[in-house]
Amino acid sequence: MTAPYIVVGAGPTGLGCATELAAVHPVQLIDRIPVPGGEAGWSAPQINALVKDARRRGVRFRLGGTALRWEPGRLLVAGPGRIEWLPGERLFYAGGLRPATAADLFITGDRPAGILPTTVAHHLLAAQQRLWDRVAVIGDGPWASVVAEQARAAGTTVIAITKGCDPPPWADEVTTQAGRIVIVGRDRVSAVRVRAPQRWAVIPCDGVVLAAGPTPNRNVAGALRDDSQGVAFVQPDEPGSVAEHSEIGRRTARSWIAANGGAR
Amino acid sequence: MAGDPQFDVLIVGGGVLGAAVAARLSQTSARVVLVEAETDLAEGASKGNAGVAVSYYGAPGTQETRLINASNPRWEALTRRLDVPYRRLGGLMVALDADEERRLEETLAEVHACGVRGELLTPGQVRDAEPLVSENIAAGLLLPDEGVIDPMRLTIAFARLAAANGVTIRLGERVLGIEHDGDLSSVITSRGRLCTRFVVNAAGVEADHVSAVAGGETLHTWPRKGQYVVLDRAFGEKLTKIVFSTHTPLTKGSNVVPTTHGSVLLGPTALDIEDRDDRATDPETVAGILEKARRLVPAIADAYVMKTFAANRPAGDEPHRLRIDAKQPRLVHLTDRSAGVSISPAAADLALEVLNAAGLDAGDRHGALDVLPRVPRLRTSSDPVALTEIDPLYGQVVCVCEQVTAAEINAALTGPAAATSVDGVRKRTGAAYGRCQGSLCLAGLSFLTAMKTGTGPASVRQTARGTVGS
Repeated sequence: MTAPYIVVGAGPTGLGCATELAAVHPVQLIDRIPVPGGEAGWSAPQINALVKDARRRGVRFRLGGTALRWEPGRLLVAGPGRIEWLPGERLFYAGGLRPATAADLFITGDRPAGILPTTVAHHLLAAQQRLWDRVAVIGDGPWASVVAEQARAAGTTVIAITKGCDPPPWADEVTTQAGRIVIVGRDRVSAVRVRAPQRWAVIPCDGVVLAAGPTPNRNVAGALRDDSQGVAFVQPDEPGSVAEHSEIGRRTARSWIAANGGAR
Repeated sequence: MAGDPQFDVLIVGGGVLGAAVAARLSQTSARVVLVEAETDLAEGASKGNAGVAVSYYGAPGTQETRLINASNPRWEALTRRLDVPYRRLGGLMVALDADEERRLEETLAEVHACGVRGELLTPGQVRDAEPLVSENIAAGLLLPDEGVIDPMRLTIAFARLAAANGVTIRLGERVLGIEHDGDLSSVITSRGRLCTRFVVNAAGVEADHVSAVAGGETLHTWPRKGQYVVLDRAFGEKLTKIVFSTHTPLTKGSNVVPTTHGSVLLGPTALDIEDRDDRATDPETVAGILEKARRLVPAIADAYVMKTFAANRPAGDEPHRLRIDAKQPRLVHLTDRSAGVSISPAAADLALEVLNAAGLDAGDRHGALDVLPRVPRLRTSSDPVALTEIDPLYGQVVCVCEQVTAAEINAALTGPAAATSVDGVRKRTGAAYGRCQGSLCLAGLSFLTAMKTGTGPASVRQTARGTVGS
């Protein structure tokens, strides 16, 4: 019996990739979240269409399972309910993007409470939590705008810290960043110092959101490296629409199939 | 003052030394309470250190060296009993030029004078022992008995053992004053008054304050800030030895330390400061740490940097202190600038001797526990497939980078010395220590911590001092 190709990540990219691969080989799709859709969310109509498409092509779903360890030929998966080695001929990793960390952005200073990655802030705000009075949002990608709109809806003043020239439409105040960022605050963040053109700007705030990046998720528990054997990475460069990302997944799968002798 | 003491010994400070003494005393007939000002254990130097259980720290013939020597052979058995990660990796001290090579030879003489194993190596032998060390070195010194340990897990394990044996642990309670009346002391805290026969001052960088409010000697302690850089496991899994720079007369130099989590720590720097709450990093110092570390291990690239942090260790005119106060015969000082972890098992034994000599009269108690139940960890399990039979929640991975499951997080949030903050969970499980620094798991950790502590996800503590939302 042939071991399937395993696709990790049932967001738009993974769904597109799995569907395309299923034309030439059995495919097992897994995701750590118990529903498909990834960042796009399971309820989006486009996700529904992609899932139907994948199922029609025979893609098998395992939702609520986290990929832990890859050895050529098998993948250790935890959940749902059990931990087991799944046989897999190849691994296609569509593990999505993460925001840049403070270290990625060379942010130094204090390490108080009140600094959250944008993905985390998004989840907490979606759970109807009011987090801040004045929040500094570092970075101006699509993640920043989503969190900023959520925060403003909850009555929070949003200060954008951006490198770009155009003031983002989602901010109440804007500071242009020309150099380093330093966090200030002992128990809780009280300000962000930003090297602005010509001067240091001090922005009082009671929360910071790290919304720059984006960076592909790698190093899943030491399982995956850029040079891991038998692994192809299927990750977009930046956040985008469901259609864009599923197309990236499909295209990567097609070119992989072409480079590996077509259908088998 | 009230007649009967509630306690025989009150320990001020929930760092590694205070917790180690609590664990040791918990196995005796003494009634013990540990009071910690922060809302968690291991919030000072015991959190911010390089995680090295050293074999050698200079100063032959001193009490500190005797305690290091007495502690070192015990690590394997002790950490197995207390479920604490430890690996005797061995260390390589590297000389970069002829001048440092001379100092390395002096260091070797001192290593031997301390009764510690050590061996000079040629550059070729150094690189055989650790291929990642620079080609441009003059010589090396192998210290085979250096080990790496998780200092936070060690501190918390000591406290958990103490609590399991009946010690009262009081967190978030600051000692404000100590009044003595004959054989008894009344300790006034931010939450009330505790009556005790003896006080152990294990308050680390606050030891001078505690001595002052206890009417003891004027101790001279001040914070020595150290900055650190943490590197990704992608680099950490290649490094097999601790790499030290050659000691200079002024400083022990910089270290490249594989941690028990699989990451690598660079640092610390050393800067004497005044502000005890100053734990800020700065770009120049961080760049300097990386540059120095690259002289030892050139493959260290900026792209591996996951995190930077700073911590303060208790410096002073008396770097090691385990003795009775000169003015108060029932006050014992126990602090160590840099070797607190490395001396902790033997220091706890000696503290018991010192207390008994001062009249505590505590004997070992039959039936006291000396083992903690092991919490299986998914990442390091040799048989991960079997874990869901122990607890189905092992199938639910919360922190993907470090493979920390809901079962492990719940274990951290329950029992004695349980976590009450997201950082507390992080210290006990390693969750959010990885490459993404919590981008995927901090929301989940906040929800789980909020549920166990009876708060909401925004009002739950993110650190020992501050909440997720404001």
